[in-house]
Amino acid sequence: MRHVVCTAGVLVLLAATVSAHHSAIQFDFANTKTVSGVVMKFRAINPHMQLVLRVKDAKGERDIVFEGHSTNNMYRAGYRDNMIKVGDTITVYIAPLRDGSDGGYVTAAVTADGVRFGARSRAELARERERAEGK
Amino acid sequence: MHQRSRAVIRLFATACVGACVLAGVSMDAQQQHPDFTGVWTTYNEPGAAPAGRGGGPPLPLKEEARRKVERYQALVKPTGDTPGGYCLGTGMPGSMLGSGGYPMEIHQRPEQIIIVYEAHNEIRRVYLGDRIVPAADRLPGRNGHSSGRWEGNMLVVETTHLVEQVDQRYAHSANARIVERYDLEKGKDGGDVLVAEMTMTDPEFYSEPVKAVKKWARVPNGHLLPYECAEENWLKRLEELEQGAKK
Repeated sequence: MRHVVCTAGVLVLLAATVSAHHSAIQFDFANTKTVSGVVMKFRAINPHMQLVLRVKDAKGERDIVFEGHSTNNMYRAGYRDNMIKVGDTITVYIAPLRDGSDGGYVTAAVTADGVRFGARSRAELARERERAEGK
Repeated sequence: MHQRSRAVIRLFATACVGACVLAGVSMDAQQQHPDFTGVWTTYNEPGAAPAGRGGGPPLPLKEEARRKVERYQALVKPTGDTPGGYCLGTGMPGSMLGSGGYPMEIHQRPEQIIIVYEAHNEIRRVYLGDRIVPAADRLPGRNGHSSGRWEGNMLVVETTHLVEQVDQRYAHSANARIVERYDLEKGKDGGDVLVAEMTMTDPEFYSEPVKAVKKWARVPNGHLLPYECAEENWLKRLEELEQGAKK
């Protein structure tokens, strides 16, 4: 039942972001955090990858929704088809939400096979931010 | 014409083409123009910091235009909304100045050049010669109508019939006139670099012409990737419908 509630919550959150999916103002690109979890949902699409991770930490177990950079830019930074599958345990590098709540903007990831893709340098992160903001 | 004169002309033409080949410039076989066909990405000088986007020196906006831009910026600042957030392309001249940092692809024919910017699949068509659409038959748009001509090895593109845009770095009125001059150079690494010099003349918005330069590096055997910007919203809509159907 808990999972049903979580999923419904995720869907509500996704629906709420429909008309503002490109806005990156809520993310803190000056900071990077890493989050590990099990992939519950993954979509390699544009303009933002969509990811839901089941995370277990001091706050307990819960599903967290992330968005990430475009699949096209991730592709040019090493991503290839089927690198991430539902059920995989992965780690993502994120620009966290400014309000401190769960979630963030994925700038890089390490797959279950240990392959890393995504932005690496501070300059790359700055470009990520500009792209996310649609400049 | 005497046979000897024709032979001299042929020899001269052959020498010209040979000189271009030696110079490393790919030429359009029919028109003897440089061939820009291919995939291009933002050029960064080897060893230099990556080219930034946005920002830059203040633009010479007239007072009324400045008020329009400020009104727009105040409107979107709280949410950070952008045209791209709604799957809308940048429009000229933002599209030719980088298009969100994504690559572009050029298909060149003697009578028409098609430029595809990967982001939002934004497309520009540059018509040449008889393909140029008469002014009375043009519809305005964010990328306007572009007509081109060759000045030696330089492609000159003139764009008019734009719509007023305050939602990009280079805001402009509907009456703006944008001239791009494209020239091939060699980068420090020996690769092709396409230099685009842009001049926007818009007396309604600016006290003087606005200029910018964008450099593109050729991507040998490069490919553009698909960019279906609206897919995300469509998939979310399907999820909403599925949730509604379960109730």
